[in-house]
Amino acid sequence: MSSTSTPNRGLTKIATNRLQKELLEWQVNPPAGFKHKVTDNLQRWIIEVTGAPGTLYANETYQLQVDFPEHYPMEAPQVIFLPPSPLHAHIYSNGHICLDILYDSWSPAMTVSSICMSILSMLSSSTVKQRPPDNDRYVKNCRNGRSPKDTRWWFHDDKV
Amino acid sequence: MAPGLDVPVNVAKQAEILKQDGNTYFKKDRLGAAIEAYTQAITLCPNVTVYWTNRALCHRKRDDWEKVEADCRKALELDVNSVKAHYMLGLALLQHKQYADGVKQLEKALELGRGANPSSYMVEEIWQELAKAKYLEWESTSRLRLQKQQELRAICERALQQELESTRMQDSETGIQPTTAPYHNGGTASTHNDGTESNDVEGESKSCENSLKVESEITYKERIKMLSDVFNKSAEADIPNEVPEYLCCKITLDIFRDPVITPSGVTYERAVILEHIRKVGNFDPITREPLKPEQLVPNLAIKEAVQDFLGKHGWAYKMT
Repeated sequence: MSSTSTPNRGLTKIATNRLQKELLEWQVNPPAGFKHKVTDNLQRWIIEVTGAPGTLYANETYQLQVDFPEHYPMEAPQVIFLPPSPLHAHIYSNGHICLDILYDSWSPAMTVSSICMSILSMLSSSTVKQRPPDNDRYVKNCRNGRSPKDTRWWFHDDKV
Repeated sequence: MAPGLDVPVNVAKQAEILKQDGNTYFKKDRLGAAIEAYTQAITLCPNVTVYWTNRALCHRKRDDWEKVEADCRKALELDVNSVKAHYMLGLALLQHKQYADGVKQLEKALELGRGANPSSYMVEEIWQELAKAKYLEWESTSRLRLQKQQELRAICERALQQELESTRMQDSETGIQPTTAPYHNGGTASTHNDGTESNDVEGESKSCENSLKVESEITYKERIKMLSDVFNKSAEADIPNEVPEYLCCKITLDIFRDPVITPSGVTYERAVILEHIRKVGNFDPITREPLKPEQLVPNLAIKEAVQDFLGKHGWAYKMT
């Protein structure tokens, strides 16, 4: 994890205000299956997700890392799985997630909580535990530390 | 404002140059030099509003509020619609504890500013200052209100206590004292059971007396409870709580300042939805229906609801 000594340095007033409100709402009413690991860094959230019962990922726990850009929510946060990431047709082994709302289909009316629910529903609807077909090629291309937000995604399907 | 017609063109030009100098000094934080330049510009062309408001801005930076007020008043004589003049005059009046007038000026500035350029930083800044002033006002009035209510509550509780005690005294005056009249039937008890067929008079009168006592104590406790409910209820409005969701923008999650409604029927904060259209795309963030800036319409009903809410719950002015 990056330094948390000077949190929120890169956030606009609107972004800070909104994230504080989201955090407050999360504390009162967290989305089922998710746990926010408390840090003093408002700009990076680490969230624990547990697979829904009765799905391929039941009882498995993964960690999401959510980084908020300066102009959040006018820009989508960067959301990735910390290794090891779940085996899923839309999740690469480096943790990058192919999910349209995180990129082209982002809307500022979405929240961390609604993103989490989209991710959980993506996991829940999976019928096979496998990596995307282009996993190796993609992960290799990202070796220089490229953000998934810089990827030109073509979305595998729009069911999720 | 354009220079007056009576000012020769070259004089007006000279004044403009002085203003530019003033702006340069101001940016370098050389306030004294800036004030001097603006003063010279004013001497040449006293009818140009912006010279006055620019000088006022320098005075503001120096915390010289008397002069801020004077310059702003002069600027408003020249242009009653000067956002900056209303704004800084408002700040000056607040500094001088002229609370109501100060707020009025800030509100005027906000109204004019929104009309001219709804998403400018000025509008946001004016709002922040207004909210700060309103919050401070709420803090002091609510403290006073609470204090008065607590006093009143204490007085009411004492009155109930006294009433209970006087009932007790009446009871013991009129009731039988078992020690002095062990076999006698009388007092309050006798009026209740006539003492005709009972052979256990003492016991009965005693229990009757007790039940009266118990009754008045129950009434007392009920009243104390009701009193507490009434006072808690009236204090509720002043307890910081959550702002209802329907008064908050779905993007900022904050209470509305300048709500506008989209053709889809969703209401957003004006400056923020305009930014969304500019940066993210031409669509309604919730319904994803196409959306253009000119389709946004003020939502006056929500605006009134917000004013009403803020009027009753001043804590909601608190900015995070």
